[in-house]
Amino acid sequence: MKIRNVLRIAFVAIRRNAVRSALTMLGVIIGVASVIAMISLGSGARASIDEQIQQQGTNVIYVSSGSFGRGPGVARGGAGSTTTLTLDDAQIIQRDVPTVSRMSPMVRGRAQVVAGNQNWNTSVEGGDEDYIVIRNWPLASGEDFSARDVLVAEKVALLGQTVAKTLFPDSDPIGQIIRVKNLPFRVVGVLVPKGQNQWGQDQDDLIIAPYTTVQKKLLGITYIQQVVLSATSSDNVEPAAVDITRLMRQRHKIADPNDDDFTVRTVAEMAATRTQMADTMTMLLMSVASVSLLVGGIGIMNIMLVSVTERTREIGLRMAVGARTRDILRQFLAEAISLSIVGGAIGVVLGLTVSRLLTSGLGWPTLITPSSILVAFAFAGAVGIFFGFYPARKAAELDPIEALRYE
Amino acid sequence: MVDLKKSYVVGDVTVHALRGVDLEIAKGTFLAVVGASGSGKSTFMNITGLLDRPTTGRYLLEGEDVSGFDRDRRAQLRNRKIGFVFQNFNLLPRTSAIENVELPMLYSSDSPPAAQRHAKAQGLLDIVGLGKRAHHTPSQLSGGQQQRVAIARALVNDPEILLADEPTGNLDTRTSVEIMEVLQRLNREKGITIILITHEHDIAEYAHREVTFRDGRVVSDRRVEKRRDAAQERAALPEEEAVT
Repeated sequence: MKIRNVLRIAFVAIRRNAVRSALTMLGVIIGVASVIAMISLGSGARASIDEQIQQQGTNVIYVSSGSFGRGPGVARGGAGSTTTLTLDDAQIIQRDVPTVSRMSPMVRGRAQVVAGNQNWNTSVEGGDEDYIVIRNWPLASGEDFSARDVLVAEKVALLGQTVAKTLFPDSDPIGQIIRVKNLPFRVVGVLVPKGQNQWGQDQDDLIIAPYTTVQKKLLGITYIQQVVLSATSSDNVEPAAVDITRLMRQRHKIADPNDDDFTVRTVAEMAATRTQMADTMTMLLMSVASVSLLVGGIGIMNIMLVSVTERTREIGLRMAVGARTRDILRQFLAEAISLSIVGGAIGVVLGLTVSRLLTSGLGWPTLITPSSILVAFAFAGAVGIFFGFYPARKAAELDPIEALRYE
Repeated sequence: MVDLKKSYVVGDVTVHALRGVDLEIAKGTFLAVVGASGSGKSTFMNITGLLDRPTTGRYLLEGEDVSGFDRDRRAQLRNRKIGFVFQNFNLLPRTSAIENVELPMLYSSDSPPAAQRHAKAQGLLDIVGLGKRAHHTPSQLSGGQQQRVAIARALVNDPEILLADEPTGNLDTRTSVEIMEVLQRLNREKGITIILITHEHDIAEYAHREVTFRDGRVVSDRRVEKRRDAAQERAALPEEEAVT
């Protein structure tokens, strides 16, 4: 029998039971739609992580004081908790590790910031003149502070967009004076907005000042909390991290990695962790979605079995007028596959709509890739074949005489 | 020539539906097979219609031994050479008359294109007098009309043999006569061999030849002496309603 005739017969049968067919398809529609929505959500999360890595600069390496390492019976405070990281460490890393191009020490604290009658509690980060270069964070206006500003611990500051807008809602902040912990700082630049990070934290809610100023005038410390470095190229990030770790252990006389009083992290590594988390989440959501697709498939099988029983006489008649075993098999298989493919197509449209709504309504990033549509579609087809085969074989193996006599 | 010769024993250890039957049916014959239920006439029909195989014995269809054919070869042969008409019509529900008639063509190895199928089906519906009801579904047709659709369907692949299993069993007298008229006309004008299975002797009298089955054997095989002519009978019936 010609394929066209197989399809014709299948479609006639589906049309004859339009309501039931629609309800059967609903299972597949929901399954495919949720698979598509979940994949798009997962890809969206991935893409936004990637975008943030680009924003942060892919070559960046962080050396923080403190360690997450787990030694037996040792209490650990985590990154930033010890005072053993010094400016010397930072400078020697830059001098001795050839794959490092730029370096900036970093300290961080929180402070109340006042300008005119506005005031705001924000994060204060201290770095040197390369800090914003390494972090790949251009200025929207004004200019970076200079090496001399760092050297003499000048009271100058760069504002994040949130701080700039809060303190100076109507005026240009460049050249204005703000008071940080009651000390006057001159605003020299405003950073471009970065938006929220993966955790929903506002990255623009900060001011950046020379680390010397922050150390001496705001925090009253001599150590540094972090060294921010950039590798000469993204390929050199991993070798640089390895070299830095070795150098630091040597300088701090550490034999056992569990005793590390510092942590070396690369942006790629941090991103990998987050990407992995996003992937795990996506897999989890997708398996839930797949279950609904599976249930949809069982629905198809159920209806096909009912349909075979109900149409026993019809099958007998088709056999009497010349349908071969494979004709009947193909017909019922075609019905099951048509149900799942049509359901799959509707499900794709619904899934696209849902993910669009997730973005526009809830602001969740979603990304639709052609491959995800293809995967969901193929999955639906496979469900049709898998769950359609058993009922179809049952139909095809009927005895024509029995079938014709069936009441 | 259709040259059918069968001798077989069918059934398992306990049931011997047919206990040795030898019959030769010439092409163009209108044969009536009569017998009470359980006489083996249904088994005979199933084997003749290639729905079943004899346990032993041979079935020669146009000189070819088809008793060893497997399921699919028999299906193809049925499609080409045999038309079925059933007591309960067996039309596909919610499917138009013309689509029902086209059905066997969909299973042909050389299935013609749609336009040709429609034309052929429409032509046959015209022959059985239902040309104007081609797009009615079975539920919109009377029993007699449904049976005529079934006859048109049986003819669509130009079969050698038309197997009619109690075709008038569910119909009133007048409609029965009309159906028999169609069958007689097909036999006469197209030379189609008709095998009519029935348990009513008066229906058997429309045939040329009447074979009686009992307990799986042929107990009588005779020429019908005073053959009834359905066309004349219908003309004689009072014109109460126009059925077509």
